[in-house]
Amino acid sequence: MKEKRTLRFIFALWVAKAMKLALKLLGRNGTYLPGNTAIRLCPNFLGQVGKPKTVIGVTGTNGKTTVSNLVGDVLEKSGYTPIGNRFGSNTNAGIATVLLDSCGLLGGSKKELAVLEIDERMAPKILPYVHLDYLVITNLFRDSYKRNAHVDFISSILQSNIAPDTKLILNGEDLVSNHLCPQNSRVYFGIAAGDAKSTSQGNIIHDILVCPQCGAKLQFEYIRYNHIGRAHCPNCDFGSPDLDYAVQDIDYQRHLLQIDTPSGRQTYRLVGDNITDIYNTVTAVALLSELGLSQQKITAAFDAMQIVKTRFEEDIVGDKRVVMMLAKGQNPIACSRVFDFVRHQPGKKAVVLLNYDYFDKQETSENIAWLFDTDFEFLDHPDINQVLCVGVRALDYQLRCLMAGIPADRAQACPQDERAADMLRLDEVDTVFILNDLYTYDVSVALQKKILEKLQKGVA
Amino acid sequence: MKIEVLFPEMCNLFGDSSNMKYLQQCLPQAEFVYTPFDSEPAFVTEEVALVYIGAMTERAQQKIADKLQPYQARICQLIDGQKTIFLATGNACEVFFDYMENEDGTRDQGLGIFAGFYAKRDLFHRYNGLVWGTFEDMDIIGFKTQFTMAYGDNENCAFMPVNRGIGLNKQSRLEGVRRGSFYGTYLVGPLLVLNPPFTRYLLGKMGVEQPQLAYPEVVEQAYQQRLAEFKDPKVQYE
Repeated sequence: MKEKRTLRFIFALWVAKAMKLALKLLGRNGTYLPGNTAIRLCPNFLGQVGKPKTVIGVTGTNGKTTVSNLVGDVLEKSGYTPIGNRFGSNTNAGIATVLLDSCGLLGGSKKELAVLEIDERMAPKILPYVHLDYLVITNLFRDSYKRNAHVDFISSILQSNIAPDTKLILNGEDLVSNHLCPQNSRVYFGIAAGDAKSTSQGNIIHDILVCPQCGAKLQFEYIRYNHIGRAHCPNCDFGSPDLDYAVQDIDYQRHLLQIDTPSGRQTYRLVGDNITDIYNTVTAVALLSELGLSQQKITAAFDAMQIVKTRFEEDIVGDKRVVMMLAKGQNPIACSRVFDFVRHQPGKKAVVLLNYDYFDKQETSENIAWLFDTDFEFLDHPDINQVLCVGVRALDYQLRCLMAGIPADRAQACPQDERAADMLRLDEVDTVFILNDLYTYDVSVALQKKILEKLQKGVA
Repeated sequence: MKIEVLFPEMCNLFGDSSNMKYLQQCLPQAEFVYTPFDSEPAFVTEEVALVYIGAMTERAQQKIADKLQPYQARICQLIDGQKTIFLATGNACEVFFDYMENEDGTRDQGLGIFAGFYAKRDLFHRYNGLVWGTFEDMDIIGFKTQFTMAYGDNENCAFMPVNRGIGLNKQSRLEGVRRGSFYGTYLVGPLLVLNPPFTRYLLGKMGVEQPQLAYPEVVEQAYQQRLAEFKDPKVQYE
């Protein structure tokens, strides 16, 4: 994996470093362009650039950003100085930027530790060049059809690119990813506790229903959501593994988790109150424990944390809440998880769907097939008074809501973003949830501001 | 009226299952049979108005082709006699071709119902695009997302000519395949939700008198909006 550095590499490194410096002087982060340029100038730049002594990768369909950030935060608070792509791209260019930024003028690295969030689709462009000591795979679900096709494809590219000596930290309840690279050393994490809040039935998508070895229908002991759960094949030895890091008890009131670990039962703070937060927490605990961090260090770091701001923001005016949450467009599982979270929130609610594809809006017509794999049925709830479908695809969303059984007087289309605040029936609800895509954040913030102004006027 | 959905646990990618959900809402009295992979299809022994099969993984294609092989003659009899409509979306069409060829030249055998047709897989290059075509006199719009390109002379057996977008492959202007009452199109996702005129046509072919669609106003408005977008020369198709 460690390749001899060439003059071409040195040239690419210097150009990229100069570019990074120039971008910094211009006040820009420059988390993609320098790495992209370096790879263009020297195609195996990632192979030649120096890497820290220990490199951790975090990949998977959902949760990789949060887990990477959690792990990075804990490591920093524990006295390490890990490098990572927290503020940058999780592609080969983003990772090249991180590595070139931390290495010397001849390309060597003196860093001890890296935590790299890796786009699973980019594995063939990263893993052959960057040796990972640890790789976390949070889960694998169908994601963007355009980029990721289906989980069989993503599994196969991971399978063929993971190094045999990489230790795997795997989701024991995800039968799609936890059988990858069976020869590799591994530990499994998951939730063993069986409580109603961490279980939702009736999902549209199940990415594994038949045994990949023999084709028999899998027998599920339970399904937590989608295909996440425990199952075995009645015909062969395929099935869910035992968990090494198992959440045994969830205390939502006090935000505490009891986790069985190889060192015994331990208590950790739950950062958030969603099932995905529980998975993210136990994933981070598994990785950090495998790295050798003590429970005390992990706990101390968790105690000082908040959920990443762009994913959950809350404002309160009088007795009403306005919550902005990330519901990634083109990602049916992520949206379904958010819908499930929203329906379980207390009080009467209005939901604003503002996660159309911002870039497709400028150039083309968005493929809306993903809406039909998303559990809009979760929004058909007596406490959800209004589902406002906003933006260029408002009619498609409205139609999807109607197909999900949401009554026509609750499912409304608002094709013009700027009219959304006026269409909301704020007097009927306790909470307004604005569900945004990564790239409709600004539009959502503008809407949030208008709603807050209306509420403040009402309060005054 | 019986409608059969083949192997829904495997043939459900890219939102394709929405087609039958929508049809179910258009035909609340119809009987929908969801045939799992380990069962014999209903069309083998029973009278079925429509058989639907949706997109699947490349690995599943061979399994499905092997599963259907014993019923190849029965399928031909049903579609040539126009007794049962078969609707295949996305790469489900390929199962009915001669073969699917991998990058290394190896082949997965298909059912050979469309003789001379084959698909070439290229897992390194995914094709995504929009399609606007004309079926009979109806505008049909939709999306393609696939690893394969198909080949074969479909001049007299295409699903539809395309106005914009690609046909069987990047050089082709003829989309999909048709034989008797078999309709095969590479369009994925909610084809029937997106195309109310085609859905009405299909319902008519199934013997439904005065076909009524579910949520007709919203479906029609969404269709007209999308059609206008697809006809806009500024809209990028790839």
